Amino acid sequence: MRRSTLTGAATLAALVLTLTACAPGGGSATSSEAGSATASSAALSTDVAAAGDITLTVWDQNTDPGINDAQEALNTAFQEKYPNVKIERVSRSFADLKTTLGLALDAPDAPDVVQANQGYPDMGTFVEAGLLRPIGDYATLYGWDTAFPAQQLSLNSFSADGKTWQGDNLYGVSQTGEVVGVYYNKAKLAELGITKPVTIEDFGAALQTASAAGTLPLEFGNTEKSPGIHLFGIVQAATLGATGVNELVSGKSGAWTDAGTVEAADLLTQWTTAGYLPTGSSGISRDAARDNFAGGGSLFYVDGTWRLSQLGEAMGDNVGFLALAPAGSTDPVTTGGVGLAWAITGKTTKTDAAAAYIDFITNPAAAAVLLENGNLPAVVPADYTPAAGSLESDVISTWNTVNETNGLVPYLDYATPTFYDTITAAVQELVAGQYTPQQFADTLQADAAKFAESR
Amino acid sequence: MRITRGEALLNYGVLTLFSLMAVVPLIGVVLTSLTPSGQAGGGLRVPDRLAFENFSEAWDIGRFGSYLLSSVIVTVSVVVLTTVLATFAAFAFARMRFPLSNTIFYLMLVGLMLPAEAFVIPLYYNLRSVGLTDSYWALILPQTAQSLAFAVFWLRNQFRQFPDGIVEAARIDGAGDIRVLWRIIVPPSRPAIITMCLLISMWTWNEFLIPLIMVTRESLRTAPLGLAFFQGQHATDFALLSAAGIIVAAPIVLLYVVAQRHFISGMIGGSVKG
Amino acid sequence: MVASAALVDGAAAVAPGGSVASAPTRGTRRRDWKGYLYVLPAFVVFAVFLGMPLLQTVWYSFWNWNGFGTATWAGLDNYTEIVSDPSILRSFGHSGVLIVFYSFVPVAVALMLTAILSRSPRLRGLGLFRTLLFLPQVIASVVVATSWIAIYSPDGLINQGLRAVGLEGVTRAWLGDFDTALPAIGLVGTWLGIGLCLVLFLSGVATIDGELFEAVRLDGAGLWREFFAITLPAIRGHIVIALTLTIVAALKTFDLVYVTTRGGPGSATTVPAFEAYNRAFNTREVGSASAIAVTLTVVILLITLAVSRLQPKEDPR
Repeated sequence: MRRSTLTGAATLAALVLTLTACAPGGGSATSSEAGSATASSAALSTDVAAAGDITLTVWDQNTDPGINDAQEALNTAFQEKYPNVKIERVSRSFADLKTTLGLALDAPDAPDVVQANQGYPDMGTFVEAGLLRPIGDYATLYGWDTAFPAQQLSLNSFSADGKTWQGDNLYGVSQTGEVVGVYYNKAKLAELGITKPVTIEDFGAALQTASAAGTLPLEFGNTEKSPGIHLFGIVQAATLGATGVNELVSGKSGAWTDAGTVEAADLLTQWTTAGYLPTGSSGISRDAARDNFAGGGSLFYVDGTWRLSQLGEAMGDNVGFLALAPAGSTDPVTTGGVGLAWAITGKTTKTDAAAAYIDFITNPAAAAVLLENGNLPAVVPADYTPAAGSLESDVISTWNTVNETNGLVPYLDYATPTFYDTITAAVQELVAGQYTPQQFADTLQADAAKFAESR
Repeated sequence: MRITRGEALLNYGVLTLFSLMAVVPLIGVVLTSLTPSGQAGGGLRVPDRLAFENFSEAWDIGRFGSYLLSSVIVTVSVVVLTTVLATFAAFAFARMRFPLSNTIFYLMLVGLMLPAEAFVIPLYYNLRSVGLTDSYWALILPQTAQSLAFAVFWLRNQFRQFPDGIVEAARIDGAGDIRVLWRIIVPPSRPAIITMCLLISMWTWNEFLIPLIMVTRESLRTAPLGLAFFQGQHATDFALLSAAGIIVAAPIVLLYVVAQRHFISGMIGGSVKG
Repeated sequence: MVASAALVDGAAAVAPGGSVASAPTRGTRRRDWKGYLYVLPAFVVFAVFLGMPLLQTVWYSFWNWNGFGTATWAGLDNYTEIVSDPSILRSFGHSGVLIVFYSFVPVAVALMLTAILSRSPRLRGLGLFRTLLFLPQVIASVVVATSWIAIYSPDGLINQGLRAVGLEGVTRAWLGDFDTALPAIGLVGTWLGIGLCLVLFLSGVATIDGELFEAVRLDGAGLWREFFAITLPAIRGHIVIALTLTIVAALKTFDLVYVTTRGGPGSATTVPAFEAYNRAFNTREVGSASAIAVTLTVVILLITLAVSRLQPKEDPR
């Protein structure tokens, strides 16, 4: 009995020792070196046919119906153009992609092309580990550096060490554009005798008029938490301005406790206390909110251009879209950016084919396919004219305007690796009156300061 | 075994109340699944037209043709493997004396308590280093390991209750361990084993994180993963999601309806002897 | 078949009251080295696919690692973070609340239903009731959760009901309210758990000899005496199993929270498993995620250990 106990204990101890002999991730250090080594190899070529019969493994998150249709059409067209290439599409929902992409990029059989989310936890970490290939060379080759506005390209850039967002290296290009703005019910607006708001002040006045007339001014459903970033983002964009928000989010200057941010928080508090937003918005799903707005339940609704096809279908020409300008201005400043970046992985050897694929799904011909399926392409072809008075024309003109006037500010959660959790929770606290505007600002600043210190 | 009419009424009342509470949210799922896609924003309401086409659309989008097959393969394998391994182990734990048996038993019991987050990342790297990720093994073996804890615990309990006298008698007749186990102890434990198999099937069938992380290939992915296709980055298609949920749940509901007859059949009184 | 049925009777006759434990014959339980052979296959599967990864997770928890590249030694930092970060501590507190809803309430309700069902096995439509009560268990929680979001919404079923009985003042968005969100999620757990507990208890009742019921009933016992004298002792082991499973489920809760509230409003419904998942896959703090997962595992172990003391005494070996 005693001897076997001893033997058992010894075996267990030996097992523990062998298991824990090395630091986690010991195996992946070599792989990331290999990744960066391939980056500067061989001459670039646009000749896909020369690659012979290959399979290109592509990970995307285009699962929403409209964009899924577009992606499938583009993949088919690419394979028709290059019969030697077989596209192996791995399509995952946004959340599932986030969970699994890191593990896949690091695996020996890593995919060739992936959609990587901008920001520190994803693109930044991948760049740091050498899992994404810098694509500045291909950008020159295919002319992406001129086809896309500089502002868009910088959103998809990082420093080579992955520590600084909007750095010198381009790691991807985006297929779609996104603006967060205000959808409005045209009939209700006319009925209330309100002219279409231009500035944040007009918007506040419109909310008040609607409320006085017994109409719910602004529908808001925030169970999923991400809508909170959108709502706060567009208000802050208007109170702090494009430069202010850009510098703040990229950590270049400013603090979250500065006047512009606190003012935005203060406005939201005023609106919620005045009952302009539904109470208990954290218990209403974003889709229920959209439904209620579409059914005529409110005058305004804040969401992104990704709702274009759904709201257009539900409301026809009775719905319009606008972005707010700071007080005293007519140039809108609002949250937005580009869809997830299409990137070439660090481990792939099929870089030429990968680049050709990315070009194929983001070029003007692809933009036309995206438009056909109710999506907003990153660059709308100049010759494209949407039907006058349609929601699509509002969305496209807003997108073009903010691109031309540099009125786009990034999603606030790009600020730090933990900022998504911090700000989404804080917005819920704010609209429920649990935080004062100052407490709200302090919470955000604490997160930003912690990250600045760690860099 | 008769009860008074008043008591029967009361019993019906209580049962109906709780059954209703169990079913109302599910009716919500059914109603939503029949609402034309795009009109269901997650609210509970009666659809103006029954959109049965949601089911065929959900079937395609969720890739259930392939995912369900994969689920069946994985679930059946896990259940069979677990039952066989656990029966032997539980027999030893319940009826044999050997050093450290209790220690080993309690160690294995830890498997019941482990949240998936506590082992899934190293497990992924281990399986990848031996080339097992992206295979059925990567789904079957870890989930068998998880199920074993409950199965061993459950069957050990069951086997311990077995009267010693009968086993002794069999041994005197010359029956070996294996024979005692499979011929004497297992057959009357059938209701318990079926209950266990049902629970393990259910847990394996609905497991999400392990299949999400361990496999990439379409042909290996299991049914719950298909549900993710209805929840996009910016919108959820509640109608199709509900239809998909019903598709995923249907096989296991069917299994339950068929199986419950077996594990409840011996419930009370003379029916055991039937 | 007849022989095995007789065995069930035999087993059932001694089962109530845990009297098996004091069965006189100890002879069959001799020291038996073959035991290892029987246990080995199961143990190997457990050790390779759970035991080893768990130990590795413990090891990870002493490092700062983003999942790629090199890790830096963190010592106990990830653990001191857990005890010093109020938001993580709160998440463990939330789990405590969920245990009441996930475990204690369903066990109590299922016991009541068991008392009814075990007494009147010939109620018409019993099978239907059983099936209905168990249904919530089998449908993926992602799907039922979306239904509950609707039920709890401002115009949902619950508020409609409250308005109908004139309780307008009580209505609210239940999942969006800082005070009610956690209990609201808890009640979904209750709803899920009743069926599971019931099935476990009924499979315990199945081992009771019906003649025992006849006997006490001849003595004129009512529902409650019958329940306490026969049913309850017979299913004590099953109650412990149900408590264990449901408590573990409460502590492991992840997907229900993820779908219904994402931990909100604010951080009113965060739970440890959610924090661990979030850190492992979203903010890529694998070391910190591991430390939370390990702590959670230890908490689960301690609680289940405490629960297992309720188990009928096992005979010493």
